[in-house]
Amino acid sequence: MSRTASRALLILLVAAATSPVEAAGVREFVSSDWSTQIVRFLTLQDASVRFALIGSVLLGLSCGLLGSFIVVRKMALMGDALSHAVLPGVAIGFLWNMTKDPLAILIGATIAGLLGTFLVSAISRTTRLKEDAALGLVLATFFAIGICLVTMIQRLPTGNKSGLDKFLFGQAAALSAEDITLMALVTTIAVVMVVAFYKELLASSFDPGFSRSIGLPTRWIHHGLMLLLTASVVIALQAVGVVLVSAMLITPASAAYLLTDRLHRLVVMAAAFGVGAGMAGAFLSFVGPSLPTGPLMVIGASALFSAAFLFGPRHGVVARWMLRRRGAARTQRENTLKSMFHVMEATQFRTEGVTLHDLAIRRRETIDDAQRLGRDLVRHGLATLSGDALYFTPPGRKRAGEIVRNHRLWELYLTQSANIAADHVHEDAEKIEHILGESVVRDLERRLGYATFDPHGRAIPSARAIHGGDARREGGNGTGK
Amino acid sequence: MNAMIPAFDAHAVLVAPWTENLSLFGWIAAMGFAVTGACGLVGNYLMLRRMALMGDAVSHSVLPGLVAAFLVTSSRGTLPMFAGALAAGGFTTIAIESIHKLTRVKQDAAIGITFSTLFAIGVVMTSLYAGQVDLDADCVLYGEIAFVPLEPMINLGGLVLGPVPFVRMAAVLLMVGLLIAAFYKELLVSAFDPGLARSLGTNPTLMHYGLMAALSVVVVSAFESVGAILVVAMLILPGATASLLSTRLSRVHLLSLVHAAISSWLGVTLGVWLDCSIAAAMVVAGALLFALIWIVSPNEGLVARWRRRRTPALPSAMSSNSSPVSELK
Amino acid sequence: MSEPYAPLEIHDLTVAYHKKPVLWGVDLVIEPGRLIGIVGPNGAGKSTLIKACMGLLPLQSGWVKFFGESFHKMARRVGYVPQRESVDWDFPVNVMDVVLMGRYGRLGLLRRPSKADRIIARACLEKVHLLPYANRQIANLSGGQQQRVFLARALAQEADIYFMDEPFAGVDAATEAAIIAVLRELRDMGKTLLVVHHDLPTARQYFDDLLLLNMNVVAFGKTAEVFTAELLQKTYGGRLTILSEVAQALGAHGASR
Repeated sequence: MSRTASRALLILLVAAATSPVEAAGVREFVSSDWSTQIVRFLTLQDASVRFALIGSVLLGLSCGLLGSFIVVRKMALMGDALSHAVLPGVAIGFLWNMTKDPLAILIGATIAGLLGTFLVSAISRTTRLKEDAALGLVLATFFAIGICLVTMIQRLPTGNKSGLDKFLFGQAAALSAEDITLMALVTTIAVVMVVAFYKELLASSFDPGFSRSIGLPTRWIHHGLMLLLTASVVIALQAVGVVLVSAMLITPASAAYLLTDRLHRLVVMAAAFGVGAGMAGAFLSFVGPSLPTGPLMVIGASALFSAAFLFGPRHGVVARWMLRRRGAARTQRENTLKSMFHVMEATQFRTEGVTLHDLAIRRRETIDDAQRLGRDLVRHGLATLSGDALYFTPPGRKRAGEIVRNHRLWELYLTQSANIAADHVHEDAEKIEHILGESVVRDLERRLGYATFDPHGRAIPSARAIHGGDARREGGNGTGK
Repeated sequence: MNAMIPAFDAHAVLVAPWTENLSLFGWIAAMGFAVTGACGLVGNYLMLRRMALMGDAVSHSVLPGLVAAFLVTSSRGTLPMFAGALAAGGFTTIAIESIHKLTRVKQDAAIGITFSTLFAIGVVMTSLYAGQVDLDADCVLYGEIAFVPLEPMINLGGLVLGPVPFVRMAAVLLMVGLLIAAFYKELLVSAFDPGLARSLGTNPTLMHYGLMAALSVVVVSAFESVGAILVVAMLILPGATASLLSTRLSRVHLLSLVHAAISSWLGVTLGVWLDCSIAAAMVVAGALLFALIWIVSPNEGLVARWRRRRTPALPSAMSSNSSPVSELK
Repeated sequence: MSEPYAPLEIHDLTVAYHKKPVLWGVDLVIEPGRLIGIVGPNGAGKSTLIKACMGLLPLQSGWVKFFGESFHKMARRVGYVPQRESVDWDFPVNVMDVVLMGRYGRLGLLRRPSKADRIIARACLEKVHLLPYANRQIANLSGGQQQRVFLARALAQEADIYFMDEPFAGVDAATEAAIIAVLRELRDMGKTLLVVHHDLPTARQYFDDLLLLNMNVVAFGKTAEVFTAELLQKTYGGRLTILSEVAQALGAHGASR
């Protein structure tokens, strides 16, 4: 990881950890109207607000950080299974001394999570069941065991005050100073481990086989990652809840995955997105106190993902759609140029211009359509329109020659080298003519022995003639054949 | 801690539910069977197509559809419920496909993102409109199968068919069974080899969406009883257990129904004894059955494997990789 | 190279996948400074053999020694080019990142690649004509370029023996020529190369020695001695398409002489 990136992470972490952590305040706050709630949240008056905020920053950081690795390792659903599998561990950790002791819960949940991941691999290794079935099976079974235990605990006299139900959907306002300390500890360990073993994590995620061949302990890296992942799932539980914590692993990291091509940037971005989503969730759930925190954080993360999905500069849907549209428009212009070339070719290039009428006939369209296409050419400086006739500009003539040459060379190539019948090659050439690059065209020409006629007997404009700017010279005798 | 596990009272646990309390637990067990059976049958095809986690995705995503249907019609009618579930299921399938196809995000992450988002929206909707929607947040997760006998009964000309959710679920089970019987060949071929299916005149895309529609309907009918997460176990456990015992799909279907029957009976027993969520107890019971079969199954079991390992394989002992569709070959 | 031990020695190697043997009873001693092709039909265990040598698969029986030692002691002297399909090319790394991974084995835990490592990686990229692409994301490369990235990474390992799994699969003719040139250069430097290859006619031209493999070693020796109709038929069994390919390969060879 680059030094600036790791420094940024550390600063973020230190800032989070050094924020005033005071004695536990009133956690059960009364609901008041939302504008005063907003003021209370923004001024950080209450300890519970501060805890909720610090907690969501910490969990967003650790989930985003580790989530990056599970996304690039294609283990997204393992995160899901893991997060459900910890529930029985939470219940057993609670049973240890019948209080919500964060450490006991952390240990219980970590053991349960690791047992779950072990069972997934044991089932898929020793039976014909596929990994996805094993994941779903373990996930739901562990969750059921957890629900059995939780409903049994809630039946106990001390149980209904246990706050265990907060573990299902999360309530950031229920975080205590002890919880925050543990969260800070786990997050620090996660950041330190990722920074220290970044190189090993990178190599073993990208190419496990190679990594093992150079002696990296990939299995230990995997187990270590799973352990960190389990711990960070567990510390996130109280604020996000069992059900949706996997989303905090997957969604911020997937959003970052759409925005960058380098892993260290992805890791930092995912952590930042996690923090943003966490803070947004904490804020919204504070403003509307009946709302659980977890779903709101997840919706925050999903909003970030949707933004990246739609508007990401390279992988975004809008950017790609615009690119495709631009490509389609260019293809259409090139087809118009080609039609003009064909019209002129039919008169053996005796005329200089092409009337809209001839163009419309050639393209089997109305004159209005031809005029629209012609104007598009004029707008792009490929032709001039004078009266009702179109005239090539020099770049327009060059491009028209190139397209026709590409088309005919490709047809010839398909018939000669791929033994495809001459009447089957046109469709393919219609598509390929727009994307052939100059070097490929030269290569084709060479392979075809600088052929001058396509399979239909029409002249292939030569590169020299096109770049000389005169398509007429070598086209003149072609149509006679 | 000992207070948590009640003393085992043989009469109260083993006898009473099926005698004096039959009117209560009978319906719960029947509902459990109908849910697990219908889920198990659909789940068989999910697993064959390696789409087990689509079950997870759809089961979470039907929640916003369900809530929206409740809000729009302000009723809990079966039809709006199915419509909401189908819409949500269809949206999930399409959303996953488009995230996966339009970007470089892999399918597993696309599944995770889609269903968690929809589920989160559903949960927030239930919290916001708690007054109008008859679903509480915990019920969304693990349902409340114990409330089934308290629902209004359906009488058909004097004949008591059962409480509304059970009748609905039983009808769905019957429908799934009939559909499988009618399209068995097509389902088998298109699960095994979509290319072959197409050449034989079956439309695999249609089959795919049909399966997703069946999944949505099954999941939504089971939703109030077993919730969004336990239903995943009910989709996978019966088929997973059955496929450790047989490789013929038709027999796997029958065995999944047997698994459903045993696990719902055992689940009620377990739930009564431990006084915990009965739906969760049914899943635990089903998982115990799976664990048992995993250990002792004659061909696939751990014991059998361990025995085989002690007698090392010979080069000539190349076993063909059997799959549940071996009858095709 | 006054090495007292052979670069690679395999004794009675048996490997099984899911209780199904893929390789059995493989015995081999490889001489240094040879460019060796491993050929055989699909499922003959070619990839399995090299993975098993590097400890990536559990061995049912037998042992493998590199320079007289176990693989783990000699891992630094062993280079590996996996199959191109074995990784996700959408992975968020650029070309330089991948080539630097070749240095990781020498760096040990906790250390970052230094300036010197970067200089070596650049030199390796230059050797495979990819230096101008050093900052490209790997998804934006052609198949042949991706294969050359893997080759550059193996070069960066500065190993003494190399295993390459189908380095010519799905690459264009120019890349194939560039790769074989690099392999010959390595061989001339005294390195040992074992290359899994599936194209018989070119196998004849490219390799000093051939290892004909079909679950066990059918033949191993100098290409001219091993590349015979009889041995190839024994390796490939009675498969008609392959047999005609064999005939073609032999024919082409005869014609070129």
